[in-house]
Amino acid sequence: MKTESQTQATEAPPPTPTIEVLDVSRWYGNVVAVNDVSFSLGPGITGMLGPNGAGKSTILHMAAGFLRPSKGTVRIAGRSTWRNHEMYRTVGLVMEKEAVYPFLSGYQFVLFNAKLYGLSDPAGATRRALHTVDMGAAQDRRVGGYSKGMKQRIKVAAAIVHDPQVLLLDEPFNGTDPAQRLQMMDLLRRMADEGRTIVFSSHILDEVERLAQNVLVIVAGRLVAFGDFRAIRRLMTDRPHTFTLRSSDNRRLAVALVADESIFGVELCDDYLTVRTSRFADFTRAAPRIAKRENITMQEFLPTDESLESVFSYLVNR
Amino acid sequence: MNATIFALTLRQFAGWRRFLLMIGLVLVPGAVAIIYRLGGHVDQHDWTANILLNGIVVTTILPLACLILGTSAFGSEIEDGTAIYILAKPVPRREIIAAKFVASALVVAVFVLPATTVAGLVALQGVSEQGVITGFAIATLVGVLGYTAIFVLLSVATSHALLFGLAYVFIWEGLITELFSGTRYLSVRQYCLGIADFITTVSDQEFEAKLGGPESLILATLAVAAALVLAVRRLEAFELTDRD
Repeated sequence: MKTESQTQATEAPPPTPTIEVLDVSRWYGNVVAVNDVSFSLGPGITGMLGPNGAGKSTILHMAAGFLRPSKGTVRIAGRSTWRNHEMYRTVGLVMEKEAVYPFLSGYQFVLFNAKLYGLSDPAGATRRALHTVDMGAAQDRRVGGYSKGMKQRIKVAAAIVHDPQVLLLDEPFNGTDPAQRLQMMDLLRRMADEGRTIVFSSHILDEVERLAQNVLVIVAGRLVAFGDFRAIRRLMTDRPHTFTLRSSDNRRLAVALVADESIFGVELCDDYLTVRTSRFADFTRAAPRIAKRENITMQEFLPTDESLESVFSYLVNR
Repeated sequence: MNATIFALTLRQFAGWRRFLLMIGLVLVPGAVAIIYRLGGHVDQHDWTANILLNGIVVTTILPLACLILGTSAFGSEIEDGTAIYILAKPVPRREIIAAKFVASALVVAVFVLPATTVAGLVALQGVSEQGVITGFAIATLVGVLGYTAIFVLLSVATSHALLFGLAYVFIWEGLITELFSGTRYLSVRQYCLGIADFITTVSDQEFEAKLGGPESLILATLAVAAALVLAVRRLEAFELTDRD
């Protein structure tokens, strides 16, 4: 794994990269949306993780050929993605926007896409794609009447109808219910197992954790971590955590907690305790046990820094 | 031209609101002609050429009809994000522009040409048409192509195509080209009038254009070609504007 400070952990670059992002920056006037990002990806699933506004969509749009990098190059299969409409023969794209042609039925919508890909049997490919995303039963209904999750699935069907080698998805799980999410994850895993390169963006850590082998962490337009997800997850969970505790006897609880080895700092504030630990899971198990042993009633037990932004902030400042 | 995009564009135009708007627009010349006929109807050729077909059709109804359909042919898709389903395909951009242009021009022509002809026939009832209706019908067809090409270009060049289009129709075509004769070479309206004047056989006192017929045709062809080439170039470098 690499972070910005070039920490070495696990992953070597894939042998035959399908997607190459080389020294890429993108700015809008004075605003830098993406700042000197480089990475290369091969077959498999890569999750692009970062808070809203981090620059994930900007990177995906550049990879999809819909934004010109202000600096650097984005290549798919060795060719620049900018002004290269031929690349869409092997690239499928699912954008975050919900927009679909509301007057078309699901079947007509996917068929329309199949025809534009120039497939020899667009009707057959359409039926297969609809079956893959389990939209066969709703294929004759107008897309405008679909739920958000159904629209998401019909968009995926349209993006995979030509059996692409590379699939780029911007926040693909938005609006899907848990069952649909699992189904789409299974689909993406199957496609990855067949040797395809799949990149999806998300601001939900859990989604990335469940699906991606590799992760790109983007914060404020910069690539702060890239590589094997487990190694980065370890970094995230092993970082210092801060909890706020309220109890029936804060002072006595503080004395008891400070003796526990998972804790490296306790601060006694007005009517609460601030506790710092580097072992999140151990502490969440130990604290109630200690309180019970000391016969202290725990009234509040809150992690104070569990937002994704704080996790990313830790990675950035590390 | 891509037949799939052409067919989709025609379906996009099939909404009731747009249909009613177009119908309302193209009924205006006929209604004005009927009102004229109910009055004294003197100087029929002069009135029909200058007031009805030049002032109402070529200067107002034709560009507005082209504006409504030309800017929405691609502009609405860019605005709502559905353009991505066309652009993320291995389809040459010239085929996309051609399909959008032909579909828009065809639908405008279907609405405007019969309206022009019927209004002319009503206004000139009882007298020889002297090429006025034929001339303006052909001129309107040329105008459909010219205006539609310009508005398709505007729709891919700016997110405010309708606003710029209205300013173009009323300020440039309606005002500036009327006030400054040197601008006649850069006016679709003047090309239309030049072609109409070339075909009509009425006297110069009754109707006279600022441009000759052949030069109008050449300039109109160049304008259409330039607008479409620029639209293709613009689409080749199309960028998504929303960012994260």
